[in-house]
Amino acid sequence: MRRVARGDRAAFEELYRRTSPWLTTRLRRRCSDEQIVAEVLQETYLAVWRAADAFAGAGAGGSAVGWLWTIAARRLIDAFRRRAHHAQPPAAALEPDRRAAEDEALDGVVGDEVGDALRRLAPELRQVLQAMVLDGLSVRETSVLLGVPEGTVKTRARRARIAMREALS
Amino acid sequence: MTADHPGSDLLSRYERGADIAADELWAVESHLETCAPCRARLTPDPLADAVWTGLAPLLDRTPQMPRARRRRLTWVSPMAGPWLAMILLVTFVALLLDRISSATPDGISLVLLIAPVLPVLGVAASWGRALDPAYELTAATPRAGLPLVLRRTASVLVVVMPGLVVAGWVTGASLAAWLLPCLTFTAGTLALGGLIGVTRAAITLIALWTVAIVAPTIALARTSVVFHPAAMPFWAALLALGLLVIALRRTAFTRLEASR
Amino acid sequence: MTAPTTFAWEIEARDLRLRVGRRRMAVDGVTLTMTRGVHGLLGPNGAGKTTLIRALATVLRPTSGTLSLLGGMDTRLLRRRIGYLPQEFGYYRRFTVREFVAYMAWLKEMPADEIPAAVQRAVERVGLADRADDRLKTLSGGMVRRVGIAQAIVNDPEILLLDEPTAGLDPAQRLRFRSLLAELGTDTCVVVSTHLVEDVAAACTDVVLLADGKLVFQGTPAGLAAAGTPQDAGDSPIERGYSALLATPRERGTW
Repeated sequence: MRRVARGDRAAFEELYRRTSPWLTTRLRRRCSDEQIVAEVLQETYLAVWRAADAFAGAGAGGSAVGWLWTIAARRLIDAFRRRAHHAQPPAAALEPDRRAAEDEALDGVVGDEVGDALRRLAPELRQVLQAMVLDGLSVRETSVLLGVPEGTVKTRARRARIAMREALS
Repeated sequence: MTADHPGSDLLSRYERGADIAADELWAVESHLETCAPCRARLTPDPLADAVWTGLAPLLDRTPQMPRARRRRLTWVSPMAGPWLAMILLVTFVALLLDRISSATPDGISLVLLIAPVLPVLGVAASWGRALDPAYELTAATPRAGLPLVLRRTASVLVVVMPGLVVAGWVTGASLAAWLLPCLTFTAGTLALGGLIGVTRAAITLIALWTVAIVAPTIALARTSVVFHPAAMPFWAALLALGLLVIALRRTAFTRLEASR
Repeated sequence: MTAPTTFAWEIEARDLRLRVGRRRMAVDGVTLTMTRGVHGLLGPNGAGKTTLIRALATVLRPTSGTLSLLGGMDTRLLRRRIGYLPQEFGYYRRFTVREFVAYMAWLKEMPADEIPAAVQRAVERVGLADRADDRLKTLSGGMVRRVGIAQAIVNDPEILLLDEPTAGLDPAQRLRFRSLLAELGTDTCVVVSTHLVEDVAAACTDVVLLADGKLVFQGTPAGLAAAGTPQDAGDSPIERGYSALLATPRERGTW
């Protein structure tokens, strides 16, 4: 990252080559619209290029990958917001992992308690938990991402946490 | 969630967007965030390649931010810089004049005379509509309030003190003789500032000091009694009073009132 | 991270009175509620728009009445969730755009590791990415105004207060600003004070009309337009509605 901040194109290309397949896949799992994924990808890396020095300074402690995701997630939400005000229904995100609970054929990969609790969680609760915990989004951002009202996000988050706590105790 | 690297089957299903059990998906995603070798196992994505094709020419046209110059200090008010420089300059000039005039018997020390009002200028620059253009923005932020004011005040004192220590040492004035008035006036500015606004408070106190102490001292060529050791308890009492008022009026600094 | 409180309205004022100076009651008994969306605050000069916005920004204490923001909470926590652009936007001329917005983010108590990304995003959203590292003193008036908007949105506020944000923007910039407003309005309670009636017509979901410190009208832009008749002064339906509700210049003959 420090090399990118010094204007090293090769270092930036290296960063792109190493992280873009991962970021693309992760974004695609949250947004089925390829166009938006491409836009977000471009905006994210352009922002990294522009403000590389600020990121290198602040991100010294954390992983570069972590804040790369944070930047991309915020921009994905922005793209959804733009869509929302163009009067289209919010993007059908999270398509792929919806019917996951039925996927009993594969078990034992993560057989621990947390895994079981997660698996038993109702899909709509899990989506909220995933957006807020794994993706680090706020209530408002989660509500934009999933296209449900904020109140619903809060209720689901509360229910999900209670369910997880019960399952783990 | 699991330290184990995901199997290639799972990874390729993840990449294809296939259905994956929730816990596995969670595990894969959080694992990938921390494991560079596993990220490298993902196949290069045509979409990412396409984006790169569009991105590469953009990079040439997009300037990068300049390398970090000094980091902005958060202790000093953004507007205080010139004022702090002026304080140093004034201290230096007063010191110089003291050295020149030290031949006179019972020489009045200029440094001693201006010591109390020196920090007042810096404090006013730190918190006031007159000198801080972003006063209204600042007052509306969560960090606004007494802690921020004290932080900025501390930075002013840090600049003022060394100059005065040197001056005191050179002119032979006792530490308490200038330190107590100096701190009292600082506290007084903030205390009065909580009531009528910091800028007005600073002007009032400087005017008061000039008329009541500086002018007579120079006119009579005699060091005022307020610097006499016997006056020190009064300064201490005033300082305590000032601090008390600040504590009582601390919420004023989160509103517009204190920045008049 | 999650807010435990739930509330019906982001902003709720009951019989709000705000005194300015010794005796002038700039806002005199206003009762209104606002939720997410873009609220245009209209009214002639001196109607109390700026005073009301200052109270919403929590820098003025209500003289009487109640004002509840985000359901009511500790001022410091509340302020982290507010964005504010004052009418007189003062700034530090020697700072670069990035430094200034980052300094404001620090004042808003954002976590240090989130600041660079948030600053970059805010600067991009107002279209200043190419000038991010220029000093503020080198920018034009319209650009400075956009810096003001960037610092207001850097903390992704839930209540965004903009006092005359379009002053100094050229027509093209105003158009872009309106679409940013609409985007923000999807999940933010935006209050925009303006004296440009056409801004309200184009960008607001809700109009609040103040005159002499009193609430004259709250409703949709269409509702405001419906209040006007062809006899009222104005070039557009919404301007005629504005004149009708204020019922002023014609009779008095002066302005």
